[in-house]
Formats: sequence, structure tokens, C-alpha cells
Amino acid sequence: MIGLGHYLTVAAILFAIGACGIFINRKNVIIILMSIELMLLAVNINLVAFSQFLGDLVGQVFAFMVLTVAAAEAAIGLAILVTFFRNRGDIAVDDANLMKN
Amino acid sequence: MAGSDFLLEYLPILIFMGLAAIIGIAFLVLPTLLAPSNPDQEKVSTYECGFEAFDDARMKFDVQFYIVAILFIIVDLDVAFLFPWAVALFNPELGMDRDFQIFAFWSMFVFLAVFFIGFAYEWKKGALEWR
Amino acid sequence: MQLGDNISFAFPEIWLAISAMALLMIGVFIDSKYHRFISFGAIFSIFVALFLVNFGTASENASLFNGAFVTDGFGQFSKSVIYVAAIFAIILSDRFMERERLARFEYPVLILLSVLGMSLMVASTDLISVYMGIELQSLALYILATFNRDSRRSTEAGLKYFVLGALSSGLMLYGMSLIYGFTGATTFEAIAAGADEANRIGLIFGMVFLISGLSFKVSAAPFHMWTPDVYEGSPTPVTAFFAAAPKFAAMAIFARVLVEAFPAATDALSDWQQVIVLVSILSMVVGAFSAIAQKNIKRLMAYSSIGHMGYALMGLAAGTSQGISSVLVYMTIYLIMTIGTFACILMMRRPEGMAENISDLSGLSQTRPGLAIMFSALMFSLAGIPIFLGFFAKLYVFMAAVNAGLFVLVVVGALSSVIATYYYLRVVKIIWMDEPAPEFERDAGPGVKGVAILSTVLIVAGIVVIMPFLNIAAEAAAATLF
Repeated sequence: MIGLGHYLTVAAILFAIGACGIFINRKNVIIILMSIELMLLAVNINLVAFSQFLGDLVGQVFAFMVLTVAAAEAAIGLAILVTFFRNRGDIAVDDANLMKN
Repeated sequence: MAGSDFLLEYLPILIFMGLAAIIGIAFLVLPTLLAPSNPDQEKVSTYECGFEAFDDARMKFDVQFYIVAILFIIVDLDVAFLFPWAVALFNPELGMDRDFQIFAFWSMFVFLAVFFIGFAYEWKKGALEWR
Repeated sequence: MQLGDNISFAFPEIWLAISAMALLMIGVFIDSKYHRFISFGAIFSIFVALFLVNFGTASENASLFNGAFVTDGFGQFSKSVIYVAAIFAIILSDRFMERERLARFEYPVLILLSVLGMSLMVASTDLISVYMGIELQSLALYILATFNRDSRRSTEAGLKYFVLGALSSGLMLYGMSLIYGFTGATTFEAIAAGADEANRIGLIFGMVFLISGLSFKVSAAPFHMWTPDVYEGSPTPVTAFFAAAPKFAAMAIFARVLVEAFPAATDALSDWQQVIVLVSILSMVVGAFSAIAQKNIKRLMAYSSIGHMGYALMGLAAGTSQGISSVLVYMTIYLIMTIGTFACILMMRRPEGMAENISDLSGLSQTRPGLAIMFSALMFSLAGIPIFLGFFAKLYVFMAAVNAGLFVLVVVGALSSVIATYYYLRVVKIIWMDEPAPEFERDAGPGVKGVAILSTVLIVAGIVVIMPFLNIAAEAAAATLF
């Protein structure tokens, strides 16, 4: 039987993949945006699993809020990415080092 | 266990999904079986208004598409709030208090009003024009 | 929502939301030459909110929206400080934005929206509303960092801020989901009540994730990577705002979450205390050592802010009422100092553009004695040299830490304070001893000059002017958390 532990494990793995995606990825900012989304969705799996397990709706309400905010965040991320692209001509992460000392 | 009863309620959805899958697959499979097929070099090459293909299809595309995508994402997910509201609010089985229903009804309109202000801004700014 | 809830307790926030939307609509429909009025409108509406917080029904104690939102002394104090900082941020932007061709009406509207987010977050007592508040302020701040959208540095700063900010939100949320799962609640009160039966390991995991996320928002080491780049790349008035209001709000909600959701009674205190002690020590050390080699004054201020957050966290680590009140005093004084310093930085302008290098300040005492005196006073205060206000800020957190028995923290704090003094005094030395560089232009405008003079006066004469009042207010505010 699939229990709470399995859901938490899946969420933890997805969260870790998302976090690693942000740090390891050196090629494309779009992939970073996807990694961020992956992290937030991992959190949602956690919340919904806990909500079901506890028999408490608050977790699902929280998951809804996270979904919406994630959408707004993705929109702003894309918008910043578009301005970044216009100034630079590509979106490789390696180039984002104008201010490193 | 009440689990089977609970799952039984979702049977129509299962049937619907099955039906959709069958029809979808059928439309993909039938042409390959029925339609005549004798390809040659000219037929399978990229068609571009009669010219030779200029470019690879995997090109960078216009930033304008991103702007539409950005505007779409927000609308898309905010609609997600409308569904639970519409389904749950006046459901007699939930037996909600009348005052609460009216309050919740108008709450959604406050939400939509905020939403509309964002929409008016992007319209007036010209984000919806295709330049 | 209980219909019996009296919505008038949330009037400041409702007012800010309505006025932000109204100004947005006015701004987009009127001719662009009237856009200055949007700034005035924003300042006016923050003033009204300041009034509502302190004199309306919102100044009474209440809890509404099923315990997601409270009005209490702590929130009242924090909101007042945040509102004042936001007003200064709009005033500072005045001339700068026009000269850099950034005068767009969205700037004050975005400031209003982020102030609304901060206002909600310092008043929230539920994980969901904390998250919503933090996101509302962060989303507005990401755009503000990118505000100079034709500048490569500004867009790069915005992108970095966005990516790391989103990462920190993710960490925080993961922590929140674990806390919810193991205590079965999202309101702070219920978390504190459910903590005893909870799975201790799971709860500690959640708490550590939550603390990491919040440390990102206050830019405490080891989560400080974004700060120097964002400070350097953003337009200077935006940097001034970043250094002031969001830091205060994040620190306030940091204190509220830890004290209310993990109170000393549930023996969670010892769990978070050691994490905060570690973060505090790292921030102080990183702030002191990394700042030494900086050439850009905005980067210097970034490392300085990391160090200062370390000192403020020292008060939080104490976990007592005295500790929280010292955090509030520290953050308020830091806010005065940092806004004053950025006002001075905004006056560093040559005909070819903004000067941002520390070497540009050389010999300032001969070309602009007034600015040199203000700059030096602010640097002395940031270093924490006695008589200046910055000293008393440090004194209070040190006292709180000593009373809580955190002696290691106090020793590290004192040592790193000595090291930090070196780089502040280096700036003063460059101003007074070195050969004069070309003179700065004298057209910063009355707003920027006024802010610089006001904050200099406050930090020099603060011991009599604001210290007694500030101390009483902070103690009363901190007491409402316990």
C-alpha cells in the first residue's frame, strides 16, 4: 500500500532535483525557471499528501495559493528574462557575470 | 470499505477519458492504414512556399510570443480559483449558511475586480497589440 | 471567515491596496507629463496608512480571518517603520529617475504594492498569509530591481534576485509544508500547541528549511550571495529601498514566526537558537571580511548590510522579550543609517554619470565639506563608534545576548565589529586625507538633501532625540509577542 512516506519521498526527490537544477545548470535560464517550478510543485505534493493524511483541508488551500503564486512568479521570471535577452542577445547563465569581482 | 463507492463516482470520468483516448488514437491510426502512402525525396522535404528551406525549424522565436505566454499563465491559473468557488458555493449538500454564501459570492467579485484592473493596465499599455 | 470579524482592523492594508490600484489606473490613463503626481499620490496614501495604523481601529489588538492576520503592538511598530522607509524611498527617487530617464509612474505603484506585502507579512500569524505577504513584496521587488530595463547590469541584477529569491521561497515553502504536516496546523498558535506531540525530527527539518528561506530574505550568510550583485546593479534609489524596508519586514516576520510558533515553552527554543547563532556568527564574519576588498560603494553597503543583519540576529538568538526589542531598535537605527548613506551616495554624481567607486570620494572634504561631514558621520555610526546612534544599536543587542548567556556570540560580534570598523574608517580616510577628485554636481534636489541632513542629525543627536522614545516603543512592541 502506498502510504504518506512514499509521497514525501517523491516530493523530496523532486525538490532535490529542482534545487540541483538551479545550481548545476550552466546553459539556459529557462531551465532554471523550470527547476523553480519543479520545487514549488514538489511542495504541493507534500501539502496535498499531508492534507489527505491529516484529513484537513487547509493543506489543499495552501497548495492552491502556491499554484497561483507560482504562476505569477513564472510570469515575472519570464518578463525579466525577456528584458535580459533584449539587452544581451542570449540567455546563457555563464554570461551573467558582469558584476563578479 | 467505502473506497469502491467513492471510486464508482468517478466512473463517468474514466469512461470519458477512455473514449477520448480511443477516438484520438483511432484518428491517428486510421489514416496510416487507409491513406495511400508512396513518399519520395521531394515529398518529405521541408516545404517553404516553393523555395528550398532557408533555416532549421528549431529557431529562436519572437519575444512577442513570450509576452502572450506571460499574460496567459496568470489568467490560466486564476481561473483555477473560479472552479472550486462555482462548484462548492451553492451546492445544497454542503448546507452553507446563506449569509456566508452571499459574502463568498461577492468576495469573488472583489477578486475579479482586482483582476480586471490588471487587465485594463495591460490593455492600455498595448501589451495585447501584436507589433 | 467569520462574518462577525470586523474588517476595519485591516483598513491600512485595504487602503494601500485600493490606492495602489487607483494610482495604477490613473497613471496609465493620464498624460505622461503628469506622472510626477503619482509619486505624490503614493506618498500621500502611505501617510494615510501610517495614520490609520497608529490612530484608527487598526491600532487596537485583534485577530481576524481565522487567526491569519493580527493587529498588535509588534505589527503596529513594524508597519510604522516600514511606511516611513517607503516614503523616503519615493522621495529619494525623485531627481535620479528623471536624470536616468526612468521616470515612470510604475515605480511608486510598485513601492506601494511591496509595502502592502510587507504590511501583510508583519501582521500575519499563519504560514499561508506569511507566504502570501512575502511573495507580494518579493514579486514587486524583482521588478523594481530590473527597473532600468535598458541597462545590462540592472536586468542581470533582477534576474539574479529573481532566481535566488524564488529558490529561497521554495526552501521556505518546503519547510512550511513539513511544519504543517507534522503539527497539522498552519496558524502559529496551533503549531506551538501541536509541537509537543509532533515528530520532532520532521519538525526540526521544517524549521531549518523555514529559517534558511527567511535568512535569504534578510540576506544573512550563508544565504547572502545575491546581495552584492543586486545592490550594485539596481538603480540606486531602489537599492536604498531594498536595504531598508524589506530587511526590516523580513526580520520582523522572522522574529514573529520563531517566537510565536516555536515558543520557549515547547523546548523548540533551543533548536532554533543554535541555528540562529550560527547564521549570526557567519553573517558578522562574512560582512566584516568580504567588505575590506570592495571598490564599489554600493557593494560595500551590501556587505555592510550582511554584517548588520548578523548583529540584529544576535538579538533574535537571545529569544527573550529584551532580545526582540533590541532587534527592533537595531533595525530601526540601521534603517536610518542606511537611508542616510544612500542619500549621500545619490549625491555622488559627475556630469558623465553616477559615480559609484569609493575612490571617487577622495578629497571630498575639500570640494564638498558638508557632504563629507555627513558621509563621515554616517560611516562612524555604521561602524558603531560611541556617541553615534549605531553604537547604541549594537549595545542593546550585545546586552540582550549577554543576558541570554550567549557569550561566544558576543565575543565574535565584538571582534568582527573591530574588523568592520577598519573599512568604514578607510572610507573616512579617503574622504579627508586623499587628493581631491573632480567635484560632484550640486543638483541632487531638495528631497535627497533633506533626507541626508535629517538622518545625519538623527544619528548624531539621536541619543536625546529618539533613543528614549524608540526604546520604550520597541519594548512595548516586543512584549506583545510573549
